[in-house]
Amino acid sequence: MRILIVEDDASLGAGLARILEAEGFAVDVLKSGEHAAMAARQESFDLVILDVGLPGIDGFEVLRRLRAEGRAMPVLILTARDALDDRVRGLDLGADDYMAKPFAMPELAARVRALIRRGQSQAGPRIVHGPLVLDTSARRATLDGEPLELAAREWAVLEVLLARVEKIVSKEAIIQAMANWGDELSRNAIEVYVSRLRAKLEPAGVRIRTVRGFGYMLEDYKAQ
Amino acid sequence: MAGSLRVNLLRLLIPPVAVILAVGSIAAYYLSIDPAADAYDQSLVNTAIALSERIHVQEGGPVFDLPSAAEAVVRTDKYDKVYYAVRDSQGQVIAGDQEIPLPPAGLQADEGVIAYDADYRGKRLRVVALLVPCGSGVCTVKVAETTIKRERLARDILIGSVLPQALLAVLTLALVWFGVTRGLVPLARLSDEIRERSPRDLRPINERGAPTEAKPLVTALNKLFGQVDEANRNQQRFLANAAHQLRTPLAGLQAHTELAMSQPVPDACRAELEYVHSATIRTARLANQLLALARAEPGGYRPAEFVRVELRQVVEECADEWVHRSLAKDVDLGFDLSSVDVPGDAFLLRELLVNLIGNAVEYTPAGGRVTVRIGLDDGSPCIEVEDDGPGIPAAERERVLERFYRLPGTSGTGSGLGLAIVREIALAHGARVEIGESQGGRGCCVRLIFPAAAPISKDKA
Repeated sequence: MRILIVEDDASLGAGLARILEAEGFAVDVLKSGEHAAMAARQESFDLVILDVGLPGIDGFEVLRRLRAEGRAMPVLILTARDALDDRVRGLDLGADDYMAKPFAMPELAARVRALIRRGQSQAGPRIVHGPLVLDTSARRATLDGEPLELAAREWAVLEVLLARVEKIVSKEAIIQAMANWGDELSRNAIEVYVSRLRAKLEPAGVRIRTVRGFGYMLEDYKAQ
Repeated sequence: MAGSLRVNLLRLLIPPVAVILAVGSIAAYYLSIDPAADAYDQSLVNTAIALSERIHVQEGGPVFDLPSAAEAVVRTDKYDKVYYAVRDSQGQVIAGDQEIPLPPAGLQADEGVIAYDADYRGKRLRVVALLVPCGSGVCTVKVAETTIKRERLARDILIGSVLPQALLAVLTLALVWFGVTRGLVPLARLSDEIRERSPRDLRPINERGAPTEAKPLVTALNKLFGQVDEANRNQQRFLANAAHQLRTPLAGLQAHTELAMSQPVPDACRAELEYVHSATIRTARLANQLLALARAEPGGYRPAEFVRVELRQVVEECADEWVHRSLAKDVDLGFDLSSVDVPGDAFLLRELLVNLIGNAVEYTPAGGRVTVRIGLDDGSPCIEVEDDGPGIPAAERERVLERFYRLPGTSGTGSGLGLAIVREIALAHGARVEIGESQGGRGCCVRLIFPAAAPISKDKA
């Protein structure tokens, strides 16, 4: 897995690189937007971590060029600015996630893993989350290598949560995603499916956390 | 010229008006009194001429004979008492009243007539003396009357000339007085508009509504507004840049301390690293809070650019961050959200929630609960954050809203700015802050109640 970090602050760039290298990623660090746009054109990266405030062309412009050239790899925007507009603008330009500086490294690592996973699942039919593997084309799931029985709606809920690991997913978002499948579900029904999923997944260490009054969060899997 | 415009105008106007009034009245008086007085004199002269017809020159001297009926006619007047005397050339009174005074010395006869004023038996008289040739000498026929008629005339003329002029003058001054008020109405409207403005509102004033004379003032004000606005924007840009410049190295510092802490390090070093790490996080938060505080101050934001902000959405957007932080602290952060919107600044409202929720999570011990509610309270949009932490004693509830104030004995890593930011942002949105106890009677509950300006509330989802 290869990650490109575009950050003009040498200390932060080096820190990020070492943390992600420790996670087992191959990391390149570039300091300018021009170089980043060029490198992304010539080489293939599984994820780009892009600082907005770069000398020369800024992160937004790099992102715009990448997307204009049809590069679809996940992009995580880092910004030292806090204006909500920056975030909206980044997401509008096709960023996949956004983090405001400064940030906790475990959170960054979790987001990076989630983005890379998402990037792969778009490329292939297999979603892997620790011991849990979903083969979306065959609609077969395994847990610790054992076949896992999932009802159609349990599958749908799990897929929504897997797409946003370590992020809170509101019940409304799940209901909406299910509606795309032609299902009309109540909030109570969602609770039922989540509790069934928990019963099946928690013994293997895959945890779904309840955020009271809001929704759920599939926790990042860490091998014990 | 300072002071009242009206008073100054009147001060300027009164002297010339008074002079015009005086000169006009005097001129009108004399212009009309002379011909009228002449007419009365002429009537006396006519009487004198008629009487002179009755002088007959005989050998023993002139003789005057007037039938008593004719004399009665001569002496009859509606207002005045009429006297007459006929003297011969030696000055002997041959008929009429005796003691009509002589003309003052040196008064020359004009066409045989001398007209003069005299006192007679304690009365003021107008006397006309007509010199008539009689025989070899000159007889004098004097006709006199009291001045009642003339005084009445003088009074009438005086009233007739002064009164209209005085009325005109008073009217002029009154017109100036009320005209100034009326003329100043657009200015008063202008100052109302400026007075009712929020000090944070720096939009230009509409020049079209202002009278021509006030346009330079409005233009100058608008220029000033523009300059202040520009200065504010510069300050905001500076703050944003300063925050940027701070955050990136802080992010690097945090990355390296966390990296170091993830390595096997001696315990003594680990403790130091943890200090550095927590100081880094506090510094970063402080930088954010100072920026938020500056933004929440007048001039830091623009009420004119307030939009309807969906509070629930703002909470949802920052929920991720706070859920992770509370999980790390083992605090159960929960929500109870309805769709409610308020007119406001999305950035500031987000900062408000970040600080409100951050504060609650900060001061709630592990195992505690924090609940964030968005809803309507009696029709008013309301944000409520409740925790079951140690709570805030009633006596301290005002003070915790002050900047840098921290409850005595708190061990948290807070800066004492969180609730000050909450108050400042609430103020900017016209919301009031209430600090109380949570429902169980312990812990703390902070409520923000926004003005009930027709919120668009949807069903509780």
